[in-house]
Amino acid sequence: MHFSLNPEFGNRMVTLMAALVLVLQLAMTAQRWLVTNIRIFGLQSFLLAAIAATIGVFNNSPHLLAAAGLTLGVKAILVPILLERLVARIEIRQEIEPLLNAPVSVLIGGGLTLIGYIVAASFNRPDQVPGAAGLGHNTLAVAISLFLIGFFTMINRRKALMQVLGLLSLENGVFLATISLTYGVPLMVEVGIFFDVLVGVMVLGILIYRIRETFESMDVSRLRRLRG
Amino acid sequence: MSTMPGALLANLPQFVLLLAVSPLVAGCIRTLKARLQTRRGPDVVQPYRDLYKLLRKGMVIPDSASWLFSAVPYIVFLTAIVAGLMIPTISVTAPLGLFGGVLAVVYLLGLGRFALALGGLDTGSSFGGLGSSREMTIAALAEPAMMLAIFTVAIGANSTSLSEIARAAIGQQWRFLAPSQMLAFAAMFLVLIAETGRIPVDNPATHLELTMIHEAMILEYSGPYLALIEWGAAIKQLLLMTLLLNSFFPFGLQPDWSAASIVTGLAILLLKLLALGCAIVLVETSNAKLRLFRVPELLAIAFTLGALALIAGFLF
Repeated sequence: MHFSLNPEFGNRMVTLMAALVLVLQLAMTAQRWLVTNIRIFGLQSFLLAAIAATIGVFNNSPHLLAAAGLTLGVKAILVPILLERLVARIEIRQEIEPLLNAPVSVLIGGGLTLIGYIVAASFNRPDQVPGAAGLGHNTLAVAISLFLIGFFTMINRRKALMQVLGLLSLENGVFLATISLTYGVPLMVEVGIFFDVLVGVMVLGILIYRIRETFESMDVSRLRRLRG
Repeated sequence: MSTMPGALLANLPQFVLLLAVSPLVAGCIRTLKARLQTRRGPDVVQPYRDLYKLLRKGMVIPDSASWLFSAVPYIVFLTAIVAGLMIPTISVTAPLGLFGGVLAVVYLLGLGRFALALGGLDTGSSFGGLGSSREMTIAALAEPAMMLAIFTVAIGANSTSLSEIARAAIGQQWRFLAPSQMLAFAAMFLVLIAETGRIPVDNPATHLELTMIHEAMILEYSGPYLALIEWGAAIKQLLLMTLLLNSFFPFGLQPDWSAASIVTGLAILLLKLLALGCAIVLVETSNAKLRLFRVPELLAIAFTLGALALIAGFLF
């Protein structure tokens, strides 16, 4: 059952989905509602799984399909469900005010994307690596941007839950960089990373719940009060 | 067809199209929206009846109004028509395409908006001034986003002429899947919503003094002047929708202005407009109107999308 797939088409689909992932990441910096942010993250992870699956199909690397399935199961379904249950339990739905307001955050996100593209452009060597360059270049730029914007979200937001989401989207950026540059690392490494993420989210969930119980808020700047 | 009457004749179909189809598009959007909210809603042809009714009525002109008050409706209407003749609707070649590209279209609409804001200020009523100041605030924020999105498309075609842009887009089959095109499309869509005063930005259906923008400016107008302004607004909406459709999805644009291609081109254009209208209606129904101070956030997103589109278009 061999059917010929047009690699050009696959390439375009991957680039398109990577651009959508980037747009979702920017939407996350502007969005105030916690539940919406969690759903945006879920959608982003779903697109990431689709990218991994597309690369897996078009480059004949079946273990990427397993990684795509893991992404779908863990990051697009399990983690959002865990986080939404956490939001329901702590009964805080909205970010009061991030350090920088939404338009400035979005513009900074745009600036970070520019940096991502400039950094990625220096990796572009089509003359030396003819095969991999076409796919890696554009998605690598998106991956670096995801990484930077995720970092920025962690700095900008005060709520502990948003910082967790920033960390998770940062991890999405690392995963995107991995699959776009190397077409996937060995499956054992992927499984390890996903297990790590899942355990991390669980531990952070418990931690957020404790912060909320102690301070009646999940504003991490209140942790300063712990100083003796 | 190089003689003067011939050239005028070639403009005629698009001229008629702009005048005749624009109320229909507005009516369709209104009816679809009502149906989606399980209301019966007005008929599709209701805007025609409204225009007919307004054109027959007398006018009330405030004592404090100057000559500007009477000049504004004509400027709004004529700039919309001239800008409308510069964009490709049915055929790739726009009738007035030679006179200016997309920059001319944007700034003709800007001239119309400026005139409307002046008209709102002219009578000295507080609502008019309020509407004008809000309109100009939003316009100032929407314009850079729109220009960035347009530059992205124009760079792809190596020209700011809309006919050239449409031709280039027809030539490249998969182009609309490129990330820069998608980002530019998203930015343009947000700008379209802001410019035509649809729901997250302005509510076209109410006269609530806290939120109205477009309605506040034209509060003093009545009769034929109001008809001209409303018609101009409908044409502007049609033209922005067509601009969005034909610079990103130029399928079905005809190569010439023969009778057969007018019929097929018109059918395809109406289908595309209907699809875009459905998208607008979905956005309007699923969103609440934003607080005025949150509108800059929406337009900052549009600006960032436009900037990203330009970056992605430039570097690759």
